[in-house]
Amino acid sequence: MTDPRSVGPAALPRLVGARVARREDPRFLTGQGSYVDDHRPARLLYAAFLRSPQAHARIVAIDASAALALPGVTAVLTGEEIARASKPVRAASKTPAVKVTSFPPLALGKVRHVGEAVAMIAAENRYVAEDAVERIVVEYEPLPLITDMERALEAASPLVHEEAGTNLLVAREFARGDVDAALASAAVVVRERFRFHRHTAICMENRGCLAEYATGSGTLTLRSSAQCPGIVRDVLTDLLDMPEHQIRVIAEDVGGGFGAKASLYPEEIATCVMARRLGRPVKWIGDRREDLLATTHAWDEIIDAELGLDRDGAIVGLRAQVTADIGAYSIYPWTAAIEPVQTISFLPGPYRVPTYRGRTRGVATCKTPLGPYRGVGRPPAVFVIEGLMDRAARRLGLDPTEIRLRNFIRDEDFPYKSPSGIVWDRASFTASLLRAREAMDYDAVRAEQARARAAGRWLGIGVASYVELTGIGSAIPVAPGVPIATGTEAATIRVDPAGKVTAVFGVASHGQGLETTLAQIVADEVGVPIEDVRVLHGDTALSPYGTGTYASRSLVLAGGAAIMAGRAVREKMLTIAGHLLEADPADLVPAAGRLAVRGMPDRSVTVREIARAAYTGVKQLPKGLEPGLEATRFYDPYYGTASNATHLAVVEVDRATCHVSVLRYLVVEDCGRMVNPLIVDGQVHGGVAQGLGAALLEEIVYDEHGQLLSGTLMDYVVPSACEVPWMEVHHLETPSPVTLGGFRGMGEGGTIGAPAAIANAVADALAPLGVEVAELPVTPERIFRLVSRGP
Amino acid sequence: MKPPKFEYHAPRTVDEALALLGRYGGDAKVLAGGQSLMPLLNFRLARPAALVDLNRIPSLAFIEESGGRVRLGAMTRQRTIEFSPVVAQRLPLLKEATRWVGHLPIRTRGTIGGSIAHADPSAEYPAVLTALEGEVVARGAKGERVIKAADLFQTYLTTTLTPDEILTEVRLPAMAAGAGYALEEFSRRHGDFAIIGIAAVVVRDGQRCKTARLATAGAGPVPVRLRAAEEILERDGLGEAAIEAAARKATELVDPDSDIHASADYRRHLTGVLTKRALVRAIGVARG
Repeated sequence: MTDPRSVGPAALPRLVGARVARREDPRFLTGQGSYVDDHRPARLLYAAFLRSPQAHARIVAIDASAALALPGVTAVLTGEEIARASKPVRAASKTPAVKVTSFPPLALGKVRHVGEAVAMIAAENRYVAEDAVERIVVEYEPLPLITDMERALEAASPLVHEEAGTNLLVAREFARGDVDAALASAAVVVRERFRFHRHTAICMENRGCLAEYATGSGTLTLRSSAQCPGIVRDVLTDLLDMPEHQIRVIAEDVGGGFGAKASLYPEEIATCVMARRLGRPVKWIGDRREDLLATTHAWDEIIDAELGLDRDGAIVGLRAQVTADIGAYSIYPWTAAIEPVQTISFLPGPYRVPTYRGRTRGVATCKTPLGPYRGVGRPPAVFVIEGLMDRAARRLGLDPTEIRLRNFIRDEDFPYKSPSGIVWDRASFTASLLRAREAMDYDAVRAEQARARAAGRWLGIGVASYVELTGIGSAIPVAPGVPIATGTEAATIRVDPAGKVTAVFGVASHGQGLETTLAQIVADEVGVPIEDVRVLHGDTALSPYGTGTYASRSLVLAGGAAIMAGRAVREKMLTIAGHLLEADPADLVPAAGRLAVRGMPDRSVTVREIARAAYTGVKQLPKGLEPGLEATRFYDPYYGTASNATHLAVVEVDRATCHVSVLRYLVVEDCGRMVNPLIVDGQVHGGVAQGLGAALLEEIVYDEHGQLLSGTLMDYVVPSACEVPWMEVHHLETPSPVTLGGFRGMGEGGTIGAPAAIANAVADALAPLGVEVAELPVTPERIFRLVSRGP
Repeated sequence: MKPPKFEYHAPRTVDEALALLGRYGGDAKVLAGGQSLMPLLNFRLARPAALVDLNRIPSLAFIEESGGRVRLGAMTRQRTIEFSPVVAQRLPLLKEATRWVGHLPIRTRGTIGGSIAHADPSAEYPAVLTALEGEVVARGAKGERVIKAADLFQTYLTTTLTPDEILTEVRLPAMAAGAGYALEEFSRRHGDFAIIGIAAVVVRDGQRCKTARLATAGAGPVPVRLRAAEEILERDGLGEAAIEAAARKATELVDPDSDIHASADYRRHLTGVLTKRALVRAIGVARG
């Protein structure tokens, strides 16, 4: 078929691959975004939640009479009341690895973590709502605490969920070959107990939602700061027992998600129930305190791992056990398995690992539920495998880059099936590391390090190479056993009678620039200028069936669907144009805004004329051709595609204060064919910033009573612009052989590579002291203890 | 995070403000720049019946030099102090400390009186007040009194000011010409409160130390004046050994608490490290 752009003297420039400025930014930068809190329908009520001050306690009684008596308070909702209007959430799984447990929208019978929603108030404004919350009297009977994941596994431990009969909600094992024999005969075995502490995403926009129930038509509209409006719509249908077409979920502009907004939340259900009950719109906007208490946390794992190598530094086996503190509830739809299973699945990294046994456990405790956060499982997995590789390199006297080059899956090995069953289509492990070495002038930096060490300075270089699975299709679900369709997305592309294009997607952009990248793809495929393309997303009433944006999938899946739908529209345009010009469609070539007969530029027809003919002129259409100019296509990439990178960090640890300065940071990433390198750079920058936070600064801290100590942004320390180093980002473009367009997902990579690269750099800086970095974040306090204690 | 209901007053004079405080009998809070009080209200940790806002009292914002001291009105913004020629010339330590206070939007609203009256021991201004042996003026129903730095801070967020008093003025002796000074601070993130901060002033006469002044931020419930460390320098001079000894002494003089950012041991260690760094830098810029 004719390439709609690349032919002819007046051809449109190809947009895929160009550094197109983000089309959504003028809207955001001038305060014209449309976030949940920007909407104030008439008769709006404001919600506030009473949250549990106790980590584990039986609810004896709730008395809301004083709250209801307060002027301006309209209604209160408790666990028992909401149980009559909504089913409890049960994150189902078809695998026996997961014990399914209930997650009531408001605590029912007992509370399981500090911050759990116990009751909801609807009032004339948020101030009154919070006053009313204070007046609800709850009698709690404290229950034995469960805050340590390893002690929660002991037989005598009290239970978070009695229905499960255990706190072990997830247990799974992956194995290949005889790892015990391999490790027994290995020349070198390195082992470590790694600890990756609890983190959370911190979106600029806190979570919020606004529900409106139209009593006349019986329709429910929920505006939510969600990444996955399709998933929320589907589950509300079931929970609220309403037909799907009567529920509309809108996630218009969303101020960051990072995975933390990819799950269903209790507040969304409660807000819908309250709005339906009152027949008035109800809005809840979470504040920062609620965000830290009740938005899902992440990671929080202990990983015991052993790596065996032969004399030449080739891996012979990897044996590991992951224990994750999954908190109080199994979140919908991903279940409690998402973090621990992902970690153990990705542990072998980009290496040839001939024997493997990975066990993983997800343990319930009385803390905020664990959910997805940028990288899901892979930041800890990469921290572990890359930490082991460095330990092995030190033991064998090899340079860290050399040991990696000896073990990478080689170009001739693709497609390569990992020990956990993931298929790597094709990636550039060796090339990315070599390019990173070259771009950094690695040998020169090592020489500089030697001089610095001689002068008594603690300078270190850290390497991390990783591979992740993106654009996941239906063959390997995003979350194994979870009965939702994560493997497909659709696009509807409609050319209106004026020749302008509207493209509608089931994915939902929350900062990734999808309104730009998807428009680039659509403009290229249809053959129109980008100014003529409008992208709509995040609205279940407008879009074809879809779930949303998560797991580095949207550009691959929605982009693939855009290519298919765009081509279908294009084909029809050629048919109509051929008819109008009395020419063979195969002889038509594009010029700016028109199609012309090859070699006869005067015989042409504009896109607008083609579009008008498609809608209005029966006689202008070939006989039997259906009027209209639009197409909907679904795309399923089936297996998904690898995305990889090498990160290099140079750090200096202040010998006196133990402060870590990141002196250089370099990324060589490969996300296949790039749609927009500007946006790829931005995604790397943001991802690395969050990875740096995970490595050096951020930590959710609970005390032994299950009280959250890091409950403000003074205590949960996210990096500011001053802490984020300049980054050198380089690109390799290995088009994916298995996705339409050759795209690979890349939204999470920065966060996956950075913790390991920085941890390894700090460890390298401290190597002369004989200490290792096995715990992240590696704060000044932890470094102080490491260097005071010595090896 | 919405405050409970409170009444709001914006008096035009200090007398009006005092009358309002009297009317609420200790149940009103004075609002200065609001950079600490507003979060406390929003968290419902402070629940005053009323706020008495000092922002409409022009007479409380000034910087004046006379008789070898600098008087700063309590409502003088940190941003004003940062760029004041008088402060640059007479109180260069205060200027340097101001650069460590929060971020630009915070300094634009935040005031010197508010920071000192709030008495966060991790803040910079209480340390500077302590190091420079300054004093504050408090006005109450019964008139005016002057409180020395050493008598002002009681414990975390607590001063000897009474609920019916308003801190109206901060008085700092002008630093000696040629005095060396430095404020060293360690925080986890730029603009955060100090994990440890050290304010140092050194007046030298060759290798001899005429006066040394050292005070901490973040090393306990109040700013700590490190007098015994100062004495080592005043006795033994400004050589490397004396600096080392003073820094070591500093670690013995503090009794910091542990929190989720830093243990007491680490804070004590940092007290020594930063005392040394502050002294080295202060001595480096001292003339005489």
